[in-house]
Amino acid sequence: MVLGTYKEALSARATDSKIQKVAQDGGIASALLIHALEEGIIEGAVVAGDPNDDWAPYPQVATNADEVLQAAGTKYSMSPNVFGIKEAARQFGLEKIGTVVVPCQMQGIRKAQAYPFSIRFIGDKIKLLIGIFCMENFPMASLDTFSEAMMDSSLNDVKKMDIGKGKFRINTTDGTKDIPLKKTHGYEQSGCNICNDYVAEWSDVSTGSVGSPDGWSTVLTRTDNGVDLFTSAVDVGLIETKPIEEVKPGLPLLEKLAKGKKDKSKKEIERRTKMGIPTPVLY
Amino acid sequence: MTNIKSISPTSRQEGHAELLMEVDDEGIVTKGMYFSITPVRGLEKMVLDKSPETIPVLCQRICGVCPIPHTLASAEAVDASLDIEVPKAGKILRELTLLAHNINSAAIHHFLIAPDFVPEDKYATAIQSVSAVRKATQYLVDVVAGEGIHPSDIRIGGMAQNISPLAKEKITERMTDLKGTLENHVKLMKGFIEESDLPKGLGVVDSPLFATTQFYGDVNDFNLDDVTEVLPEAWYGNEEVGKRACTVIPLMNGVNVETGPRARMAKFAGFKDNGVIGFHIARADEMLLNYQRIMELLDELDTSAPARADFDFKGTGKLGIGVIEAPRGTNVHMANIKDGKTQFYSAIVPTTWNIPTMGPATEGYSHELAPHVIRAFDPCLSCATHVMVVDDDDKKVLKNEMLKI
Ligand code: SF4
Repeated sequence: MVLGTYKEALSARATDSKIQKVAQDGGIASALLIHALEEGIIEGAVVAGDPNDDWAPYPQVATNADEVLQAAGTKYSMSPNVFGIKEAARQFGLEKIGTVVVPCQMQGIRKAQAYPFSIRFIGDKIKLLIGIFCMENFPMASLDTFSEAMMDSSLNDVKKMDIGKGKFRINTTDGTKDIPLKKTHGYEQSGCNICNDYVAEWSDVSTGSVGSPDGWSTVLTRTDNGVDLFTSAVDVGLIETKPIEEVKPGLPLLEKLAKGKKDKSKKEIERRTKMGIPTPVLY
Repeated sequence: MTNIKSISPTSRQEGHAELLMEVDDEGIVTKGMYFSITPVRGLEKMVLDKSPETIPVLCQRICGVCPIPHTLASAEAVDASLDIEVPKAGKILRELTLLAHNINSAAIHHFLIAPDFVPEDKYATAIQSVSAVRKATQYLVDVVAGEGIHPSDIRIGGMAQNISPLAKEKITERMTDLKGTLENHVKLMKGFIEESDLPKGLGVVDSPLFATTQFYGDVNDFNLDDVTEVLPEAWYGNEEVGKRACTVIPLMNGVNVETGPRARMAKFAGFKDNGVIGFHIARADEMLLNYQRIMELLDELDTSAPARADFDFKGTGKLGIGVIEAPRGTNVHMANIKDGKTQFYSAIVPTTWNIPTMGPATEGYSHELAPHVIRAFDPCLSCATHVMVVDDDDKKVLKNEMLKI
């Protein structure tokens, strides 16, 4: 299954305008975290903050809705949230932790839960894992290149970053600028080229824009916990949904991209293996 | 006629040691020699030429039983060599970590001595009590210092970060809950120990007491000039033992000393008893003092204050000394950092101080009681061992340069 194991696929968005305003797409990750906090399912969440307002993400512990909203929106460079989980469990004293991470981080977390080396007593404290769709991720220097060199804008002035419809877009104080996605190739982290997971197959709930119309997100609920939380957020009216079959472009596009990523990574792994470069074993 | 009795390795203690006793016709020990046969620890050499922040990370691996005192003594030694003043919150967090660890370690020791004192039908009760105490105290170490066993967040300059108000609240809650559990635990263990029919005078020692403070440790009460080290050949007066012993013998003002809970309690808390029973009672009582201190410090901790100082890692080239009152006694680490790298490192750890004192403490009583004496000191050998056997064929200590202060 190219989308991993899931219980239900939906198109959804947060109903709260406060979330919609700051969210990347449908605001599902933010809405779920806020709901989990309010319901006491988690005491805090490790989120990708932007403490210096320069798009260099840094894991921060959010323990209320305001702190979650401050960190809303996608950052296209890696936020080491896995590292943040340990801090949350230790110095922050959290015993029920949630986080939002990309698929490779999700794999790391699940593996750490199974083999808790140097994260004693942490795996069982992780109560909510939201995964976001991810095709690739850029080192900060790459984002800097796109913004400063290719679009003549300082990262500090960028209000929002977005990838969609074949473009890498930034919203700055003087309007929207973009470059074709093709121009970003080669600037991604090299590990992303051998990554085979597009839709965070190991999460409780996965979400991302692909498959749903603007302002909406595609959601895959995967675990019982994930289903319960999502259903409860819908029940209280925090999230509204549409059947995925009724939206365009819907699951076919998601499946196509997920399959494309798996095929591409397989080829790249074969290429690297031939050259004698060590690559991860995928199960 | 003199007979020789040997126990090798001595049991229910960390690491391997041997107790060699000369006994008379009645089986009374006339001369006791206790020495480590655990292989060399070698860390003092491994840290050379490393950057300061690496040192505590490596040195905490000296021992898995006592990693916290080693991390702290190491960090304190490096702090001193870098001329760092740790901020108040950092000091409080460090001390909290140590106090919780010391309670935890005393509880582990109760597990080790349970077969000596606890009636079989009370075994499960005693072990559950040990576990309850350990769980709560290890929780504190986990949260404050990052890891219960090899703490990642005790850093040069203080602590990686302060704890959150929520974490302080949770620790306070758990520690408040621990009060009854701990008091009952101490009462339970003391009851078993006091009921024991071991002779009162067993294990009585009259060596000078070595302890710098009741809590944490204070470098100002430690004078390096008072310390000398002799090689085992010279100390034991027995060539065979001298060849096999793996530690040097540290002396304070030329004589061997006693360090550990009883030494601290006798020096600073008016504790009077001596001997095997006295050691055990002191260790149990100290758990309660450490507990009170935890509660005081939690109250004092400002969670918004900085826990770590900025510093220049290049170093001063002066010898920094870190002195920590560890579960088994005074733990001393010494470091010299210059040009950002370790030039010199040395450690004299608690059990090393006690090694020359433990053997003689078995004298005057039946050799069959000697293991009780050794266990009363709660020796921990892995950290204590640091003589290099260079010639493997005849096991002779050919080089001792790593011991020189
Ligand atoms: S593409 Fe894969 S490796 Fe790269 S950031 Fe995304 S999940 Fe991680």
